[in-house]
Amino acid sequence: MALLEVRELSVTYRPRDAAHVHAVDRVGFDVDEGEFVGLLGESGCGKSTLGNAVLRLLDKPAAISGGSVVFDGVDVTHASEEDLRPLRWARISTVFQSSMNALNPVITVGAQFDDAFRAHDAQGDAAALMEMVALDPDVLRRYPHELSGGMRQRAALALALALRPKFVLLDEPTTGLDVVVQRTILDRLRELRAELGFAVLFISHDLGTVMEMADRVMVMYAGEIVEDQPAAAMLTRPLHPYTRGLLGSYADPRAAEVSVDYVPGRPPDLSREQTGCRFRERCPVAVAACATTHPPLAPAGPGAVRCVLGGDLPEAGQARAFSPDRPELTTTAPGEPVVSVREVVKDYRVRRGWRTTVTRAVDRVSFDLRPGRVTALVGQSGSGKTTLARLVTGIERPTSGTVAFGDLDVGGLRGRRLTRYRRHVQIVFQDPFAALNPTRTVGYALARPLRNHLGLGERAAVEKAAELLEAVGLHPAEQYLDKLPHQLSGGQRQRVVIARALAPEPSVLVADEPISMLDVSIRAEILQLLDRLARDRGIAMLYITHDLLSARLLADEVIVLRDGRVVESGPALRVIRHAEHAYTKLLLDSIPTLTRTL
Amino acid sequence: MRYFLRRAGFFAATLWAAVTLNFLIPRLQPGDPAEAIVARLSGRSQAIDPAQVAAVRTMLGAPDGTLLTQYVNYLGAVLRGEFGVSYTYFPYPVTHMIGQALWWTVILVGVTHVLSFAVGTLLGAWAAHRRNTRADSVITLGSTFVGTLPFFWLALMLIYLFAITLNWFPARGGYGPGSNPGWSWIFFSDAFQHSVLPALALLIVGPIGWIIGMRNNMVQTLGEDYARLARAKGLPQRRIALTYGARIAILPNVTGFAMALGGILGGTVLVESIFNYPGLGRMMLDSVTNRDYPLMQALFLFITIGVLLANFLADMLYGVLDPRVRREVAA
Repeated sequence: MALLEVRELSVTYRPRDAAHVHAVDRVGFDVDEGEFVGLLGESGCGKSTLGNAVLRLLDKPAAISGGSVVFDGVDVTHASEEDLRPLRWARISTVFQSSMNALNPVITVGAQFDDAFRAHDAQGDAAALMEMVALDPDVLRRYPHELSGGMRQRAALALALALRPKFVLLDEPTTGLDVVVQRTILDRLRELRAELGFAVLFISHDLGTVMEMADRVMVMYAGEIVEDQPAAAMLTRPLHPYTRGLLGSYADPRAAEVSVDYVPGRPPDLSREQTGCRFRERCPVAVAACATTHPPLAPAGPGAVRCVLGGDLPEAGQARAFSPDRPELTTTAPGEPVVSVREVVKDYRVRRGWRTTVTRAVDRVSFDLRPGRVTALVGQSGSGKTTLARLVTGIERPTSGTVAFGDLDVGGLRGRRLTRYRRHVQIVFQDPFAALNPTRTVGYALARPLRNHLGLGERAAVEKAAELLEAVGLHPAEQYLDKLPHQLSGGQRQRVVIARALAPEPSVLVADEPISMLDVSIRAEILQLLDRLARDRGIAMLYITHDLLSARLLADEVIVLRDGRVVESGPALRVIRHAEHAYTKLLLDSIPTLTRTL
Repeated sequence: MRYFLRRAGFFAATLWAAVTLNFLIPRLQPGDPAEAIVARLSGRSQAIDPAQVAAVRTMLGAPDGTLLTQYVNYLGAVLRGEFGVSYTYFPYPVTHMIGQALWWTVILVGVTHVLSFAVGTLLGAWAAHRRNTRADSVITLGSTFVGTLPFFWLALMLIYLFAITLNWFPARGGYGPGSNPGWSWIFFSDAFQHSVLPALALLIVGPIGWIIGMRNNMVQTLGEDYARLARAKGLPQRRIALTYGARIAILPNVTGFAMALGGILGGTVLVESIFNYPGLGRMMLDSVTNRDYPLMQALFLFITIGVLLANFLADMLYGVLDPRVRREVAA
């Protein structure tokens, strides 16, 4: 008997005023003692809902609508809350996605350990647990807001292991953390598991971490498990076309040739009745039977797959790929720079208590942005990337140094002249969900900058808006003009945000982590779009990212920032393939690698 | 310490602004108090004799000189705690009048405020703990329903039911004609009887805001990751509800409460008018209708100081309760 047995488990969301959504649909799997299982899937596929169902933590309107979860011989699905209490934490514990919110903000970290011990009449040494995750025991006396994101997440891991559980469910434990911090946490987790031998269900959308950590990986799509096999085998021979697409979206930025795939389209609407294979509309190798047959999860290769083809994928019919295709990058850049940043310094004054501390966010940074060229700013959070973007867009003024747009000193612009400058420099924001006014249509969002900056009339603005939508690949445009943001998928929204940035015909585009909030399977698609726009329209792009793979794919030039200083810069290919500075190497080494599992 | 000083400096600046406004606003109002008094004394239709007006002015000690000298004199008087003589309750000084009304209000409104807060917060927490059950629906819907009823209507219904129909409690006033204010048992029991209906009216309406605020805050905190994690930790229900729900959800309510305490000094004009209760609220209303400037100004100042002090208290209290701002407070 396996440690965790999930059988035919279904979870349905029943909101009061909307259609019911079958978020998890008859899912079954086992986790053995000491096994490390990855659950990979994109946002909305039901993986976190499944995790919460296993922990019996679902909140209304979600509820288990069928099937069972048996943990260590106890039927979790039907036990009363009081019967579950002894099981919770003592044998099955969890770490939530890294955020401020996983720890109670008004009591100390130590008190949250004591809570767990007291609830189970256990004795425990919180200080020793903290040392286990390489934290100072002094942290126990502090409050969650006094810790950094990485420290909080390590404290949460120590807390999860406090009662020596047999099973730990990790739900996106490193999402939102820096690559370097993520690396230390993952390494620690691996060591602890070797030492304590607990089983893990590791839920993540991040293929790299899942593949690196897990023995066995389950891939979830549209509420179902579509593939389940050992990680190593999945890497060499994925059984499901979706898995193949996901694997294709990942590449080692240091490889000689880099190409990433994407899976066009979006997952089906789970509030509707599903017929046939749920992936067929995005599937590059779909056959006629896919429309009528809903394939079962059947044994194939060393695991199982839910596919009409039964794991035998034809070579042809790869998902669509994006690989940078551009002239030799080492030659000196053509064209006059549009924006020149020279020796720029930005200080922030922070008053805390008695003292005023000056934080130098950007320290003597210089670079040029040239037409048709993409410059990537790479670094961890807090390295000054976003501050530089704000300086370039004129939102902030440099403490010293200059930002020049042609012969215009951006730092000295005020009022109307600054507004006029903004026409030339547009921004693509990180979060496409927050960047659009939820009460305004796409047409309105696009017409605004057209009318403000270009002075177009209403009719002309609508025509131009439609043109822009076509340019970012949303066609037929008429279909999108009257849509509200919530009716679009994340990828479509980001396209609208890009179209809006293009509206005033800018010469500079600042893209601040434009793909980090998007699903892995469509990231390359947006990168390709940005790449094409920059080249075709001769736009100078400042691409801000912490992700070296995307920098490699999109950028001509890479600038590596650390604590506001440039530590390394040069052509993308050279900086990433032959990094010289130790910090660049650290960033590269921190990226989870698929090859490590092999 | 710096935080404290900064808050204190802010407090002083606001206080000065309030005192100044308090000086200016009544002078910007149309009408002359002396003329008003003379007119009232002599019957409205007759012409007013300037000599009479001058005599009344002298008697009341009405202000002379430029606005600036008036202002300087005013500031000095405020500092010495001299607010002058009431025009309507001549020759009692304003402070005497306020001192009398104050206790009625502080006891009635103070007690009902504290009770409302306690009852409201507890009910709200209970509703959140039992969210989406019948108990929650009854509490939430019930308080929303009562909250939509006009207060004066509720008060009149209480008077109709308990004072007129059942004749259990007196309908108006602070004490009956048979007792005189003093330290006697008869007076206290009489005053208590008189306070029952206004207190009841306040207690029906008072907790509603706290119930709804607390319930909504707590439902939200109980949906946060830390509360889910507490469930995953297998903590007892009580501990989750108290430490991971109520303890966090109560914070905004505490601030609101501390600020509401400031409003006590202003009394509740409506309730005191309806029940003809001898508190600050009614006195304020009277002073405005009678253009009793000294009383009016002193009352407004009193209320302002009360609200400012309460705000100050709320800031300090929040620092103690919420560690997220404590660091700043302690620094």
